Amino acid sequence: MNVAAPLARRPLGCLKASLRQVRQQRGFFRQMASAVSTTTAAPSTPAAEPALDFYKQIDRKTKKLRTAFAVYPTALAAGSPAVPTATTDPVPALHKAQIAKLDPTGVRTAMFAKTRDAAKVGDVLMVTHRRGGEPFAGVLLSIRRAGIDSAILLRNTLGKVGVEMWYKIYNRNVAGIEIVKRRKKRARRARLTYMRQPKHDMGSVEELVFAWKKSRQVFSTSKGGAKKAAAAKRK
Amino acid sequence: MIQLKTMLNCIDNSGAAIVECAMVVGQKRHASIGDRIVVVVQKQRGAQAEGMSASGTGAKVKRGDIRHAVVVRTRQKVTRRDGSCIKFDDNACVLINKAGDPIGSRINGVVGQELRKKKWSRILSMAPMQA
Repeated sequence: MNVAAPLARRPLGCLKASLRQVRQQRGFFRQMASAVSTTTAAPSTPAAEPALDFYKQIDRKTKKLRTAFAVYPTALAAGSPAVPTATTDPVPALHKAQIAKLDPTGVRTAMFAKTRDAAKVGDVLMVTHRRGGEPFAGVLLSIRRAGIDSAILLRNTLGKVGVEMWYKIYNRNVAGIEIVKRRKKRARRARLTYMRQPKHDMGSVEELVFAWKKSRQVFSTSKGGAKKAAAAKRK
Repeated sequence: MIQLKTMLNCIDNSGAAIVECAMVVGQKRHASIGDRIVVVVQKQRGAQAEGMSASGTGAKVKRGDIRHAVVVRTRQKVTRRDGSCIKFDDNACVLINKAGDPIGSRINGVVGQELRKKKWSRILSMAPMQA
């Protein structure tokens, strides 16, 4: 529609005629509207394409409507024999990759694995934070095994008030988890929620932690050695 | 989850022992650790403790008083940014005046670390321990 250029030289009355012309042509233009500005999309055969390939949605980053003419290649369109049949669940694979990233040595996994040496419910653990602050010690009430989201629940009594904390075991802020005292007999429950009741409450584990720290100092030869051992345990 | 009618322990030496939440200040949902609430004093501390605190601070509160307070412990789990959670066995608060300064002069009992994020450093420094 090259109306604007000659319009400059003509009187205003010609506008009427040209507009009329445009009105008549509009229907025609509509039919060839696919040429709007889709530069990349070749005049492919739209009839042959399956409706699946049309994505009409707003792009989150650019906030623009994605062109409906973009055709994304599918497995079928690419000419491959069939869709891949072996559908592996991606979530376990993702968890595995993340665990490998956050726990390269495998110490954290081993600590709460279902083995003899691993920490079990009823043990007294101490969690040290990377950000400093006082390490939190408490009875292990339950282990929530959920891949990378695995967490432990510790309970302690601080100044007559029971305090419970969930810690993610693969959290990088958790600098170390140490077993202060093991339970004498294996707990016959997976979650020791009954230990919240006053009858079964263990109370403060401060004394246990104190005794454990003292014994650790006895076994170590020097201060440097003790620190090294602690560091090794904290990986 | 501190809301209307919730009974909280008062863990400072202002003279109040048990208070009842009357309003959550500044928000329309329930209060958590570090949030400001309005409370009604329901029970006072024992006679000799009360006398001591009254003589020490001169800011004694009586039964039926309406005061502001900051929640320092909740039964409800509070999730932290790194995914760890903390949960206490009781709901507790510390009385403050309208300006935000604590009425009592000391706190006995553990308080949540969320107070730091909510800028209650005066209360944090008074507390014997934080979890």
